[in-house]
Amino acid sequence: MNGSKLKRFLKKNLGGWLIMLPSILLFIFFIWGPLLSNISLSFFESIGYDRGAFTGFENYREVFADPVFSKAFFNTLKYTFWSLLLGFGIPIILALLLSELVHAKGFFRSAIYFPNIIPGLATILLWTFLFDPSQGGVLNAILDIFNLGPFPWLNDPDLAIPLIVLTMTWKGAGATTLIYLASLQNVSDVYYEAARIDGASLWQRIRHVTLPHLIPTVKTLFILQIIMVFQVFYEPLVMTDGGPNNASISLLQLIYRYAFQQGNAAKAAALGVLVALMLFALTFAYLKITNRGKKTS
Amino acid sequence: MKKIMLLLTVLLSIFTLAACGEEDDGRIEITVGMWPQPYLSEDVEMFEEWKRLFEADYPEYEIVPDPYTYSVDTFFPMAQSGTQPTIFQTWFTEPAKLIRNQFVRDISDEMEELGWYDKMDPYMKETLTFDGELYGVPRDAYGLGLVLNLNVLAEAGIVDDWDGDGVYDIHDADGNPRYPTTFEELADMSENITNTMDQYYDRDVAGMMVLSSNNNGGWQFSNMAWNFGAELQVQDSNGNWQANLDDPGAVATLEWIKEMRWEREALPESSSLSYGDWYNYIGTDRVAMAIAGNDALALPVTNFGMDKDNLAFVPIPEGPGGEQYSLFGGTPYMFSSHASDEQVLGALRFLEYMGRSPETTDISEQSMTLGRRTAEAKGMPILPELNPWDGEEYEAMVNRVDQQFINVNMDNFDPFYNSIESIRKTEAPHYSQEMYEILDSVIQQVLTNPDANPSALLSSANNTFQTQYMNDVND
Repeated sequence: MNGSKLKRFLKKNLGGWLIMLPSILLFIFFIWGPLLSNISLSFFESIGYDRGAFTGFENYREVFADPVFSKAFFNTLKYTFWSLLLGFGIPIILALLLSELVHAKGFFRSAIYFPNIIPGLATILLWTFLFDPSQGGVLNAILDIFNLGPFPWLNDPDLAIPLIVLTMTWKGAGATTLIYLASLQNVSDVYYEAARIDGASLWQRIRHVTLPHLIPTVKTLFILQIIMVFQVFYEPLVMTDGGPNNASISLLQLIYRYAFQQGNAAKAAALGVLVALMLFALTFAYLKITNRGKKTS
Repeated sequence: MKKIMLLLTVLLSIFTLAACGEEDDGRIEITVGMWPQPYLSEDVEMFEEWKRLFEADYPEYEIVPDPYTYSVDTFFPMAQSGTQPTIFQTWFTEPAKLIRNQFVRDISDEMEELGWYDKMDPYMKETLTFDGELYGVPRDAYGLGLVLNLNVLAEAGIVDDWDGDGVYDIHDADGNPRYPTTFEELADMSENITNTMDQYYDRDVAGMMVLSSNNNGGWQFSNMAWNFGAELQVQDSNGNWQANLDDPGAVATLEWIKEMRWEREALPESSSLSYGDWYNYIGTDRVAMAIAGNDALALPVTNFGMDKDNLAFVPIPEGPGGEQYSLFGGTPYMFSSHASDEQVLGALRFLEYMGRSPETTDISEQSMTLGRRTAEAKGMPILPELNPWDGEEYEAMVNRVDQQFINVNMDNFDPFYNSIESIRKTEAPHYSQEMYEILDSVIQQVLTNPDANPSALLSSANNTFQTQYMNDVND
């Protein structure tokens, strides 16, 4: 680019660039910079958060050699599975129920959203008390009245993840419900009237009118939920510390362990890169599948 | 554009000049991280007094309060930006990690200069020395022992106030111990307590507790395993270090825990208890006995309002082979890697004014007395501390101060304090925290699975520990 071209370019675009400048600087400082330095750190030995000697893929090798890594990986898949099983359908059902309500709609809408406004940590502590495995634990004390239990709850390696997901669903379902509800309310009444005139039952109306309208929202929230649950962190950290015997440790909690408990930022960076790659792959696969769906339809 | 650049330059110059102005009085600043939080007004007053005395004697220094409670989440970012306090208190688990990341500095020369280097208890010095360099000063020393909740023990009919002084006694009228002295007795007594409390009081009280998270499980397990005759790290004939987690003694320890959990049902239901839980469980009468360090005995009193007279402290019982140890360590003060030699010297001298140095000066005794008086005013149990420094004069001074303030029935603590010198032992030398983490996981499996196989679990843990960590030691 010679001088006059540069001048012309500047004259034409300078205003635009100046307007964007603050956002670009913020992005560079808070997002892209840390992102790139994280990737680069993963190939070095770390001293604090600084790069020491270049070690190539050594950090990645160490992560793969750690038996907790495979556990955390499969646990994270389990979190995703359980969150789809327990947490994905519930907001849709709740939204459908809410949209059919005639009386006290406002009350139920607020009630369903209520757990969302409780701070996350408070929710977790609340449920931890409920799941206390001793005889004095809230749930065990209630079940004791019926001569049941005591149950180990979070102490049971097979139950830990589903129970944590249950807590997350209790807290998060309300917000998702409202998104579905908004999308339901966008469905024009004309379709329902037409369906009723054609003699469609309630189930047929849901099946042929409501659900097709919900599908785009469902698809978006599906991938968002996977990405979100893949990053589950503080719930297992507080509720079980990843236990018992790492039965509920997630990939992000393992990153935390590497970075803070073991004081090895480079190893944490390497695992961070791996998690990002997994999420890339998932999102890519999802986009491929949905695009193919669009083309064939 | 030129105008904007000019304005920026002027502004920058003003900020730079303002920043320089902070150090204008020429005094050397020492930021003190163990300064108490503002709401602890009695402690703050005590520190203010120490600061006043120190600055009067050393006018070239300025003590800058920088209350900081160490936590792994906050320390790394703080140290990365170079703003960690000149001197701060950390946990006994942390030094290796902080040194590896170059957040703290070697203080050997400064300790030599003050003549303190050779006065430090050799066990303490060993735990704070890395590659021949000394990195910290112990605030105090601790040894692990068995805390007894005398309130629960009395309800279960094990102890009584035999001498009629209003405090339960752990020795009966004939002087026989009423506390467990072997692991067999510990198991029997725990089971007995759990059953009695359930049958007669309808209360869910565990006889004993075993920790299993935050590396605390492995830490206490290693002490129990020593008593069962195990060494968790050994050197082979070539001098190479080998993991030895599957030692028969360690397997026997894990078998003992399994029996306590599933056959005797004498442990709490939770399988993820950490060091923060013992004083909660003891302080609220939910457990009768727990392993803890003598430096933490005030916690159930200060945090849960337990009566200090209901506490007793004895050694961890001996194992089947008669072996008995107490894991010995200390809470260290460490020094910022950014601190200059002068700052380190000043910070060390300030320790004398806090009564935490080997000096036996008037000021040292005065400060130590002030420390005990403040603790007394807060209603804490005052017990002897394990001295991190050696020397007859020093010990005489500490005893003099202790005699004025000790406010518990020492008969209930003597079994520990009288034996600690002969049974203390420092923790395994290599990757101890990583080893504890692996052991935590093993203990959790035993606590959650009645069919767990201790031998197989430890064998697999040993393999993991050897390949992941111990091989590095021999490289």
